[in-house]
Amino acid sequence: MSYEDRANARPNLNDESDVEEEALVNDYREQVNYEDGMSELDRTTSLGGSQAQDLQAQLTAAATPLEYQATLETKFASYDNYCSLFHYILNSEGPVDLEAPSYYWAWDVIDEFIYQFESFCRYRNRIARTGSNEEEAQLLRENPNTWGCYSVLNVLYSLIQRSQITEQLGAMKRGEDPIAFAGEYGNRPLYKMLGYFSIIGLLRVHCLLGDFSLALKTLDDIELNKKAMFARVMAAHFTTYYYVGFSYMMMRRYGDAIRMFSHILVYVSRTKNFQKGGNGYDAIAKKNDQMYALIAICVALHPTRLDDTIHSAVREKYGEQFYRMQRGGPEALPPHSPDFDNPAVNVDPVDHHTAIFMDEVKNTLFNPTIRSYLKLYTTMDLKKLAGFLEVEPEQLRSWLLVNKQRSRQIRWVEGGLLEGDSAIANDLDYALEDDLIHVSETKAGRRLVDWYLRNLARVY
Amino acid sequence: MVAFDKCETRPAHIDAILNGLDRYNPETTTVFQDYIQQQCEDRSFDCYANLALLKLYQFNPHLLQPDTVTNVLAKALTVFPSPAFSLCLALLPTNTQPFPATSEAQAASQTSDFVESVQKLARLSTLLESAQYTQFWSTLNSDDLYADLTADVAGFEELVRIRIAVEVGKTFRSITADSLEQWLDVRGRDALGKFVADVCGWKVEGDVVTVPTNKENEARSEVKSERVGVDMFGRVIRRGFEQAA
Repeated sequence: MSYEDRANARPNLNDESDVEEEALVNDYREQVNYEDGMSELDRTTSLGGSQAQDLQAQLTAAATPLEYQATLETKFASYDNYCSLFHYILNSEGPVDLEAPSYYWAWDVIDEFIYQFESFCRYRNRIARTGSNEEEAQLLRENPNTWGCYSVLNVLYSLIQRSQITEQLGAMKRGEDPIAFAGEYGNRPLYKMLGYFSIIGLLRVHCLLGDFSLALKTLDDIELNKKAMFARVMAAHFTTYYYVGFSYMMMRRYGDAIRMFSHILVYVSRTKNFQKGGNGYDAIAKKNDQMYALIAICVALHPTRLDDTIHSAVREKYGEQFYRMQRGGPEALPPHSPDFDNPAVNVDPVDHHTAIFMDEVKNTLFNPTIRSYLKLYTTMDLKKLAGFLEVEPEQLRSWLLVNKQRSRQIRWVEGGLLEGDSAIANDLDYALEDDLIHVSETKAGRRLVDWYLRNLARVY
Repeated sequence: MVAFDKCETRPAHIDAILNGLDRYNPETTTVFQDYIQQQCEDRSFDCYANLALLKLYQFNPHLLQPDTVTNVLAKALTVFPSPAFSLCLALLPTNTQPFPATSEAQAASQTSDFVESVQKLARLSTLLESAQYTQFWSTLNSDDLYADLTADVAGFEELVRIRIAVEVGKTFRSITADSLEQWLDVRGRDALGKFVADVCGWKVEGDVVTVPTNKENEARSEVKSERVGVDMFGRVIRRGFEQAA
């Protein structure tokens, strides 16, 4: 059974005779006195003048955030809108002849689609956990598949397949002409952009659902550099690096996480002036602060020389409070409809991921202290150091083992994001001869190239 | 280093499912379940495939088999230190609360045998990841439930023992035999001598076990110099030509 068959049991875009879905929708419409019962399919078969305007309105709506206090009805209706719009785009006969309202539209649509999915899942979980609104709980209970994971993934994967974006990116990587691989859909900007941004959307959805390795795997076809298509849309650029960095962090590849966060933070700080007031600036500013917190955590776990701009910003914001690590994330979503009958079991997924991450943080929290002591010696008696640290020698042996393990990390060199080589992530190394600690240090020679280039630039 | 999504022992049909949309198809659940069973028996481990199974459970909670999940977690313990265990936990139902903050929270959260099992395995993981090997063994031997949880994993104790030895070998050049006996849960000097000789190629001399020099326990000081390439000066050189023209 293929994925598409599978999707038949779910709210579905590829099968027009989805009885179950139709029944749910009708049921719902009765409840809220839905005025406009028009099927999207009827509309697309005879696309007249006023209807074309409708469609343009729908395209714009799909990229527009819901009001902050949107009612549950509005959220359900918005889901229906997305379903019908994507159904129209994906399942009309041949590619639809549409012009996207703007260059950013494709990104905005995917971004808003996932954002609404995210906030709907959160809302639903909160209602189930607190049991505060019986009426809404009942409505949500009866519509378990609205904004379901399978439907959201189905949309994203379908857009990727229709646009043959994977094939196109593969061709670009090989230095061939992507158009030859694009097919009748993928040749059109609308499909190509929707397909492309759906890949970024998948990265985000996987990450929110706690599947960090699959999140990174999703980007196999996209090369992370400034020439990438996402780099032309600021919010997409930002989102990509944020979630890649986050996934690396959850996979304990702190060096790689720092690289991702630094890249995008430097970029944001350089472009700050001309984004202000722009669309989604607030969201970016908020995530920006989160990322400084995340980078502070990563550096605590993995001492690294940071870019000067980042370094001073991190010190300014988190100088004394590296330990307050929950501030930055993790983010997470409940994967399926919650259990409305047992409020207690609907633990907030954010708490779940935070607890998992904090367990690792606790295991490694003392590493910086140990390193700062070892830096002072070339040989040191273990019992003496244990005395300084006021711990049992046995505890210190464990710490030294852990610190050694954590200073070996997988670091990306080339290829897919999940690839990498084991690297020593630390300038400080040591070995124990029974209770005698031998300390060694790898010193970096003077870095002259940067200095040279900067001064050359000044002179020329 | 093998990429995280690859596995040398992975059969072709599993690879095909993982790389296609069938990884979301609930009907492949049984295929992945058989596969983890096989890993338990033949001592192989495929983290990326096991995560795909946990994801299917995440999307289709009615399919979740508690015994299979605990087998996946027990297998993940045998590859410490690694993010495998925590990556698995991230895909489990949130009500499992693997790390309850207080004993009250623990009592309140243990609404089922499954939750208790996950929390017990998470405790073992914390002990291994924080290198508290003596406590790991005493915890493992403290409750019959642990024996049940690891029973399906062939050679569980031996696999863990080997991992501990590998970690010790990276940090130590020599270590007292008493410490190592406790860390490896090996009773008696003879048994220890046999284990370190057969498995690690180390020697017990009196009360001390010597670890031959390897890349990790060598800890040599060095000065790393900067890599300098012509490409780094490309801009300057180009500018030079442009101005000349």
